[in-house]
Amino acid sequence: MATIIRNGFSLVRKSIFPSSARAIATTKQLNIKEIREQKDGSKLVIEGVTLPSPRAELLVRAEKLTPSAIASEESDVTKPCYLCALELDVKHTDVLILSQFVRSDGCMLPRRVTGLCRRQQKKIGKMVSMAQKAGLMINLTPAYCKKDPRKRKDYKKFNTYFDEKTIFMKRIPDQNDRFKR
Amino acid sequence: MSACKRVQQWATFARTWHIFDCKWQDPYQSAGVIKKYLMGMHKPIYHPLNDCGDVVVCINSREIALRGEDWRRRAYFHHTGYPGGASWTLAWELHNKDPTMIIRKAVYRAMQGNLQRRHTMERLFIYPGEDIPEDVLQNVTNQIRQLRLVPTRLDHIPEEEVKNYPKVMDYPEDYILK
Ligand SMILES: [Zn+2]
Repeated sequence: MATIIRNGFSLVRKSIFPSSARAIATTKQLNIKEIREQKDGSKLVIEGVTLPSPRAELLVRAEKLTPSAIASEESDVTKPCYLCALELDVKHTDVLILSQFVRSDGCMLPRRVTGLCRRQQKKIGKMVSMAQKAGLMINLTPAYCKKDPRKRKDYKKFNTYFDEKTIFMKRIPDQNDRFKR
Repeated sequence: MSACKRVQQWATFARTWHIFDCKWQDPYQSAGVIKKYLMGMHKPIYHPLNDCGDVVVCINSREIALRGEDWRRRAYFHHTGYPGGASWTLAWELHNKDPTMIIRKAVYRAMQGNLQRRHTMERLFIYPGEDIPEDVLQNVTNQIRQLRLVPTRLDHIPEEEVKNYPKVMDYPEDYILK
């Protein structure tokens, strides 16, 4: 009985919203890279411009790097995403790599944009927040943020480093646990 | 004793002055290294009863880095001796009061607990900043290697280098730049 009701509900919902709420649009979805705003007098012109990606030439991919590696890779298992295939050992201090996965306000991009696998998305996201807490990407922060890490409050103003091993730890061991019986 | 041997004797038992830059260093990890130089354990002539320890000058102790949440989780205990005289100070509060105290306590704890360490600690100089007295600096002849790399901030890297750095991630077709 419950399944019939649930199926009925989902049928009704699907007839109203075809796939998801995002898909409702009166015009064709615009493929835009940059939104430009111009102001001449009292007129405000907002236009979406499709631009070639500035990163296309500098892009590093594992299949381009070594042709011999790809042959061995095909015999083995294929890697779930491009970052796994590169086999980089990224640390939270590698701000030049981490800043590529970040919006201009320092927020981590979602997985549908980055195209990473689940594990790498989690890992990169945690390392981005580590770098932000350590004050290493201070220029990629919201406008209201204090741009000097030393002007932060309380314990946040002192230097902190992080251990990448703690990213996938179930529970970070507490120092006080040593004294428990 | 010949003149040559006499100089060798001086060189063996002379105190060397080492300098250690605490910038972005973990005090608890670097305490193990500083302790070695303070007690003279890096020398082949080391013996606990042999007075062969060196002098270590720590600079930039205000810039030490603690791991993870240690600044707000680590507490320092003190008891005045009177009833109700116990107090717990968090690491960041202690560092606000005295920026040299954390590294001094870390080195003190790293050494074995006998009375000799009070005298060994007298050979440790800690300065919160970079400017140290001239008479201390002119004795220094050796630098202790840092344990951790000092990280570079993104805004300190020139913009041209950030732009031309090899990219790993590319935006999808329909991404709107923000
Ligand atoms: Zn992956």
